[in-house]
Amino acid sequence: MDVTAVDRSAISGDTLLHRAAPASKLIATGLLLGAVVTVNDPLVAAGVALSLTGAGAAVRLPLRTMLPLALYPALFALIFAFAAAPGPVTGALVVLKAVTAALAVVTLMFSTPYPQVFAPLQRVTPQVVGDALLMTYRSLFILAEKFADLTRAVRLRAGLSARQPVRSAKATVRALGGLLLYSLDLSQREYDILYLRGYEGGLRVSGKRSTDRTADTAAMLYAALILAAVLTFRLAPGLRGYAWIVTVAGAVDLATGLLIGRRRS
Amino acid sequence: MSHIHIPDGVLPWWLWLAGWLVTAALLGLASRRATRAGTRRAVPIIGAVSALVLVSMSSEIVPIAYHVNLTVIAGVLLGPWLGMIAAFIVVLVLALLGHGGITVVGLNTLVIATEIALGWALVRGGTRLFGIAHVRPVAAVSTVLTLAITTTMLVGVVALAGTGAATRETGALDAETLEFRNPFSGGLFSIGLLGHGHEAEEEHEAEAGHDDEGGDAHADEDGHAHGAALSVSRFATVVYTLGPIGWLLEALVTAGVLGYVGRVRPSLLFAGAEGLGRTPRIGDEHGGH
Repeated sequence: MDVTAVDRSAISGDTLLHRAAPASKLIATGLLLGAVVTVNDPLVAAGVALSLTGAGAAVRLPLRTMLPLALYPALFALIFAFAAAPGPVTGALVVLKAVTAALAVVTLMFSTPYPQVFAPLQRVTPQVVGDALLMTYRSLFILAEKFADLTRAVRLRAGLSARQPVRSAKATVRALGGLLLYSLDLSQREYDILYLRGYEGGLRVSGKRSTDRTADTAAMLYAALILAAVLTFRLAPGLRGYAWIVTVAGAVDLATGLLIGRRRS
Repeated sequence: MSHIHIPDGVLPWWLWLAGWLVTAALLGLASRRATRAGTRRAVPIIGAVSALVLVSMSSEIVPIAYHVNLTVIAGVLLGPWLGMIAAFIVVLVLALLGHGGITVVGLNTLVIATEIALGWALVRGGTRLFGIAHVRPVAAVSTVLTLAITTTMLVGVVALAGTGAATRETGALDAETLEFRNPFSGGLFSIGLLGHGHEAEEEHEAEAGHDDEGGDAHADEDGHAHGAALSVSRFATVVYTLGPIGWLLEALVTAGVLGYVGRVRPSLLFAGAEGLGRTPRIGDEHGGH
């Protein structure tokens, strides 16, 4: 789980999705999650997942970094499906739901900086929660870098080795202990900074406006179309035999997206 | 096993919505407590500990590919109320990275917040009872107990969801009636709280003549389909078989880290991170910072 790669893409990327307003992307993600919640056919779910991947390829999001992150939940969903699902079809649906939902949120996070995602949340959460969210975001990168340094130092001293698991575990625990103390010192420094700046609660993130209205419309229209397709198959059981059409359409979307993405590069 | 790796759209809507509502209520209470204690002090501590938990979750112990959670340690540092806020933040950030569903953020927060609160109570109480010299065994036993309890909570969530309704109704909307089905329409029995949920569901399905989603249903002689239920017993078998391995690893890591903390900053084990402002920091004795 490389959080810095997500942040790098969100901040320095320049795709059609990056130009859309965060609010539009949040609405589009909400519609896609609605589709994931509603979908009840694995073929339809597979079609949505393929189409989402195609959309990501078309706008040239870094799929190589995105896909492992989006596929990671499939592992846990597979265990859950194995442990609890009543049959292979429901099992496949559970896994596909996990992957599709992850693709939707990962697409959002790869094209929108964290503070812009948190900004609307700040309006609905208590002040302490909203501020702590932003503070977590700040601390996360500092601690991730520090932990990478600590692990590298231990590795250089040959403390981490697959041949010596006990020694490796001890070294990792020591690194985590050091990181814990560092994180408390970091919180103390942050407290000092907040004190000096006269903070009394209420860290504000200014909302980012859209720089491309077409991107806003495209993102929301695409998500609405996906939700409409899923609802159609959900509400008309007679169409169940034709769910393969959605899978084929998704595959076509993916192929087209890959072609468009290649042409743009 | 500490948090629910159940994707969106698997649990029935009333269950995850209830999770969100309880979480919102507890977050409101926790925020009030944090504000009373001082926002300026609470915000950086919650941020740092949440980030610490997130970093630990994103790093594996070589070479066994297991990631630690540090929730018990977060409990020792933050206590139950600030820990509630940290639990919400950690779960939300993980969900935004695709690790766990957005709809189950509420339920996941409750599971992790329980771990944090239990970890705080057991380690703090055990350390006071047995002394700081025994912090390692206290931490290890507390972690195993905490994880066993929260794993049982996880099984409870699946058991609550494990009626025919939950399996057939993997989405929020009933396809046939175009309604959000009220889980309490048949009384408590219909959600399986008293063990008759499946029967009630079958009666409902027999009345409606529903077909099951995804084709995993089986039809009876009258042609009525019966929704297959999530297999709670199979799920419990898997988590209680795999879980103890995770509990043991987490217990070893927690014991190791808290043992280290007990050596270098023992006050943290008694006062938590909130006590930072009240106690002089090491190295600060001869001047400012």
